[in-house]
Amino acid sequence: MSMYTSEDLNKFSLSERVHAKLKRLQEEEHFPEMRDAYRFGIALGLSRGIVPPEIGSPKSAGIYSISQIDPDQSIALAINLLMDTENLPPYRWAERLAEWGIEELSRESEKGQIDFSKLLAEAKENAKDI
Amino acid sequence: MKLKRLSMHNFMPYKGDAVLEFPQDESRNTLIVFGDNMRGKTSLLNAIRWTFYGYAYGRHLRKISLHLLLNREAVNEGARKMETRIEFEANGSQYDLRRVATMKNLVAKPERPEDIQVDIHMKKDGAAIPGNEIDDEINQFAPEQVSRFFLFDGELLQEYEELLIEGSEHGKEIKKEIEKVLGVPALTNGGLHIKTILKQAQNQQSTEASKIKGLEATAERHQRWLTKRESFENDLVKLRSLLDDARNSRLALDDELEKVEKIYSQKSKLDSCRSRCREIEAEIKQKTSERQQLVGQVWRDLLEPRLIAKQESLFQEQQRLMDLNRERNRIQLRTEQARQYLTNQVCPTCGQSLEAGKREAKEMELEQLRLQLLGLDVDDSRLTDITVQIKALSKVIGHGVGETLSVVDKDLARLEHDLTKIENQTEELEKELIGSDTDAIMKMRSRRDVVFKEEARLNLEVEDRKNKIDEADREIRILSQQMQPDDSHRNARGTQMVGICEKLHASFLRGIERLSEASLQTVESHASKAFKAMSTQTAYQGLRINENYGLTILDQNGHEVLLRSAGAEQIVALSLIAGLSHAGRPAGPVVMDTPFGRLDTKHRKNILGYLPNSASQLILFVHDGEIRGSDDLNVLAHRIGGQYEIKEISPTHSVLERR
Repeated sequence: MSMYTSEDLNKFSLSERVHAKLKRLQEEEHFPEMRDAYRFGIALGLSRGIVPPEIGSPKSAGIYSISQIDPDQSIALAINLLMDTENLPPYRWAERLAEWGIEELSRESEKGQIDFSKLLAEAKENAKDI
Repeated sequence: MKLKRLSMHNFMPYKGDAVLEFPQDESRNTLIVFGDNMRGKTSLLNAIRWTFYGYAYGRHLRKISLHLLLNREAVNEGARKMETRIEFEANGSQYDLRRVATMKNLVAKPERPEDIQVDIHMKKDGAAIPGNEIDDEINQFAPEQVSRFFLFDGELLQEYEELLIEGSEHGKEIKKEIEKVLGVPALTNGGLHIKTILKQAQNQQSTEASKIKGLEATAERHQRWLTKRESFENDLVKLRSLLDDARNSRLALDDELEKVEKIYSQKSKLDSCRSRCREIEAEIKQKTSERQQLVGQVWRDLLEPRLIAKQESLFQEQQRLMDLNRERNRIQLRTEQARQYLTNQVCPTCGQSLEAGKREAKEMELEQLRLQLLGLDVDDSRLTDITVQIKALSKVIGHGVGETLSVVDKDLARLEHDLTKIENQTEELEKELIGSDTDAIMKMRSRRDVVFKEEARLNLEVEDRKNKIDEADREIRILSQQMQPDDSHRNARGTQMVGICEKLHASFLRGIERLSEASLQTVESHASKAFKAMSTQTAYQGLRINENYGLTILDQNGHEVLLRSAGAEQIVALSLIAGLSHAGRPAGPVVMDTPFGRLDTKHRKNILGYLPNSASQLILFVHDGEIRGSDDLNVLAHRIGGQYEIKEISPTHSVLERR
């Protein structure tokens, strides 16, 4: 396995549309910080075994640095272990997963408070199937 | 005496006209009026009381101000008059007694007793009785002092139970009331008059002695003590008046507080709800902040199930690769041994020479081992990778906060639920308390506490002055003796008067004592008779009365029964009232308001069986809880001459309907 190096990507990004949703998740106090929602989005996609498409356009400028989102490289490790990266750098997958996951979280938030317990229970179930 | 009819017009809740017909048949002499609480049962009792004596009682036997007796709704609609009328028969004559209250000219709404003019009219056998003779006429058959015993309510019954508590302040008050009925005040007043004359005589004695040589100093001391005593007596009068004022204002505040007690209790509930709301909000805030921190970390928990599964598969692969590695090492070792065996012709393990027939077999074994070795695909770099991945995974897994978050979420849900519940309660209470001045209630409570302390202080002062007066009396008596050293001095007019008055005063005191004793025996005998008839315990001998008119039950051996139930206390109190009722007047009607509060079925039956026989008419104002169903009514059925029910039209308007 080849470990990821930060040279693959310097900044994490999103589409402008999803970036707006990310802001709202924080404004509505579903998450203390936008980066927490960003990470959660990545993890949600991974937990469901999603193979996300390229993020939509127009793309926002880089939002976070790698050290802000994955200081201990846990996310990179998880992507490498859980996905077939097909030679695409894991942080590119991370961006795509975040795009998908934030969209999903935004849908969840429309029902009221995000039910984290439910999402965690689903993740356990998914792990058996994937 | 027999009541015929009570008519009311705009009296208390009886707006307009209301009439109560009393039973006239002696064998069916009981009338029952049913009514829920707050509908007007006590107002019926008050209508009779007001017609006869011109006043009505509220709680704690405090008189209700005249202007409050007028029906409010009627006054608001422009009525200016209230009237009650009782037609009755007594001593062979027919009476018609009317009391009319009319608002004075220029008074739009009565706000004080002075706004109302009261007139009383009485006809005896059709002829009008002059106004100044009406009270005397009433007192012939229904003396006011006895009225408490034939016009009584449940509250009175409880007051009489206080007589059973030795030394209770209220008990002393009731004792005075009872003695009024029994004629003791006549003698007490006589004694007081004699005491006034004694004082004058003591002054005269002092003046006379001051002119006698050798007695001047004693006379001067005597005079000083007389002056002191007068000053103490004046103090006592003032203090008693202040004490009465304090007691009345404390009772008035108690009444007011009792009325607003519900508001006060609701206010306390509201305060506690608001405080609980604040506590929960603080808890929610703290839990929310804790939750936010957890939410920031919970993404790891999302990954964990898949990472654990991955870790498991890595462990399995690592195990497989390690097994292969071990197998390869084993085959490599055996290959090496086989090769050495063939090369050296000596077994490397046991050192024996290779037999000619075995060489071929060994060569074949070596070939098989070589083939096995070729079949083993051991990827060493993969094993290294896996080991690195497992190590990296162990750092990522196991830091989850999901369970803690779930607990915090549950806590938050519970707190939100509690908060909603308490907020709803708060809202309800706030609605209930709209328009209530709860601060005023708090102020009233603290004012009541201040007045109560003042009352206690005045009580001590009164006792102090009484002791000082007793001390002055003793000193005056001693000095009085010193001022009559021989017969010549004893013949002085003042000294003679003092002697006579002292003897007379002592006679009055003895008279009071004897009358009290005789009265006690009469009351005890009547009360015992009533008790034996009403009690379910047939073995009891009766009742014994003490000097405070407290009654104790005597068992079959004549011993006092020390413990008794609330129901038994009520029967004892009823017996005392029956005893007093008979001791103070000829048998007449008895009107009872809510008398059976705490009685069990059996005692109720006994009482209902006894009472109609003890009075010319029995009028009961009861609620459904007191006389229950056909059981209770069956006991009385053959004595019931009429039944009414009080129906509420509005909170200030009740009507009487025949059942």
